[in-house]
Amino acid sequence: MWRNLWEDLQLYQHLLVIQIKAQLQYKANLSLDIISYLGITGLEFVALLLYFVPFRTLLGWHVGEVAMLAAVMSLSFGLSELIGAGIDNFSVLINRGEFDRVLLRPVSAFVQVIGNDFRLRRLGRITQGMLAFALALHFLPALHWTFFKLLVLGIGIISGTIIFLSIVLLGATLCFWTVETTEITNILTYGSREMLSYPLTIYHQVLQRFFLFIVPVAFASYVPVCYVLERPLPFGLPAELALASPIVALLFALVSGWIWTFGVRHYQSTGS
Amino acid sequence: MLRFYFEVAGTAFRRQIVYRWANLAGLCTNIFFALIVSYIIIALYAVRPVVAGYDVHDTLRYTWMMQAILMVVLPFGFTDLMQTIRTGDVVTDLSKPCDFYLYWFSREMGKNVYYAIFRGLPTYLAGMVIFKLGVPLTWQSWLAFGLIPPFGATLGIAYRFLYNIVAFWIIEARAVVSFALTIAQFLTGSFIPLPLLPGWLQTIVNWLPFRGFMDLPVQVFLGKISGSLLWGAFGLQVGWLIILTCLVLWLVQVARQHVVVQGG
Repeated sequence: MWRNLWEDLQLYQHLLVIQIKAQLQYKANLSLDIISYLGITGLEFVALLLYFVPFRTLLGWHVGEVAMLAAVMSLSFGLSELIGAGIDNFSVLINRGEFDRVLLRPVSAFVQVIGNDFRLRRLGRITQGMLAFALALHFLPALHWTFFKLLVLGIGIISGTIIFLSIVLLGATLCFWTVETTEITNILTYGSREMLSYPLTIYHQVLQRFFLFIVPVAFASYVPVCYVLERPLPFGLPAELALASPIVALLFALVSGWIWTFGVRHYQSTGS
Repeated sequence: MLRFYFEVAGTAFRRQIVYRWANLAGLCTNIFFALIVSYIIIALYAVRPVVAGYDVHDTLRYTWMMQAILMVVLPFGFTDLMQTIRTGDVVTDLSKPCDFYLYWFSREMGKNVYYAIFRGLPTYLAGMVIFKLGVPLTWQSWLAFGLIPPFGATLGIAYRFLYNIVAFWIIEARAVVSFALTIAQFLTGSFIPLPLLPGWLQTIVNWLPFRGFMDLPVQVFLGKISGSLLWGAFGLQVGWLIILTCLVLWLVQVARQHVVVQGG
């Protein structure tokens, strides 16, 4: 199994290198793309900041704290977009019946799908996330940092990336039956990103529970950020739960991976 | 000839009707986003009751109304025209015995009517049920609302056309599309209601064409703008509509004469 994994990683790396080389051929175009993407994501963040001009706090959360939440969200979402954009185009693969060809090759279908559309322009959102984080730090000069807090935050961002990747994988799996991508996936990705850029506790109980325990995006953003800011968690959850984010992420990934394998096994090709 | 354009619009309308499930999924997305923003607004208003004449109820209405007309005025991912330019199919459209812009305009209007009925209306109804938004009861408000949103949609079509037609000169124009959409959404109050913006920013935004897309129609609906202020703002937007339409027509003319069409 480990050898397989190693081979998969090598294949993935190979796919990425090819695409990076190709995109670097058009340097001007690429930098323009990255900058415009940074601009787009930056405007969304500016809107968040502007809310804090007429309103000083959001249920006790200051602009810096909310900015940190938004930054964590941008980073994990941005990373998942960078790594997994290929999954987003999965419906095209299904639609044209090209997935047949993917299955014929003696290598992992997952790696071929995830690696088929790597776009450096996604660096725009990651840059925006880093700038937002720097701004959050600027707004929060009194925040006491420890090594442990940094670790929790870093692990949280990576867990968030894994969770977002699992969501798009689930959405792609749905295509086996629906052929078209359904916009429902957007609710879980773009929607949860937008939603969890703000403190979880402002939402309805049902939404809170859903994004903590069913699609655990909040586990990888709200929970670690609360740990860093030394804020209590909802539902009386212990602060140490922040350490559990990678476990939650892996569990979620395992479940969605299992559903994906199920989908691949039941794949019936489309015509035309 | 007028009948022809109506026919084009009708066809676009009927084509849209086929995608029932896609519309339902889109409706869920619209409602979800409006819901999220509503919770954010309710939480923000905990610290002060009124901002610039907008209490929490007004701002919620504003938000739901925005979501309701979003797909009418600024639909995501409208690249249909751009695609025809990329593939070269645009030649057939250009050589049809009708006006190129009016042809696309009718198509988009047909779609707009569809989205107003099957997307906008249910979205706002959902908001009415969840947050007890209610509707304004003054007839002036309804009259103005009957006139100004179609106007916003017209502006929206001119804008859509503009950011698509750049494909004649820039082949890979997807970045332009997303940038154009984001700027327009931000400046028309889709990210943050324009009345909540700081004064200096509002002054700038009020002069731009984007306000007429959605902010002005929604403010009219809420009865937040009336009298000479309304006429001033409306007049300005009419000016912008003329400018944008002329720009579109001129660019079509230039494209027709100078651009070599892509093949295959």
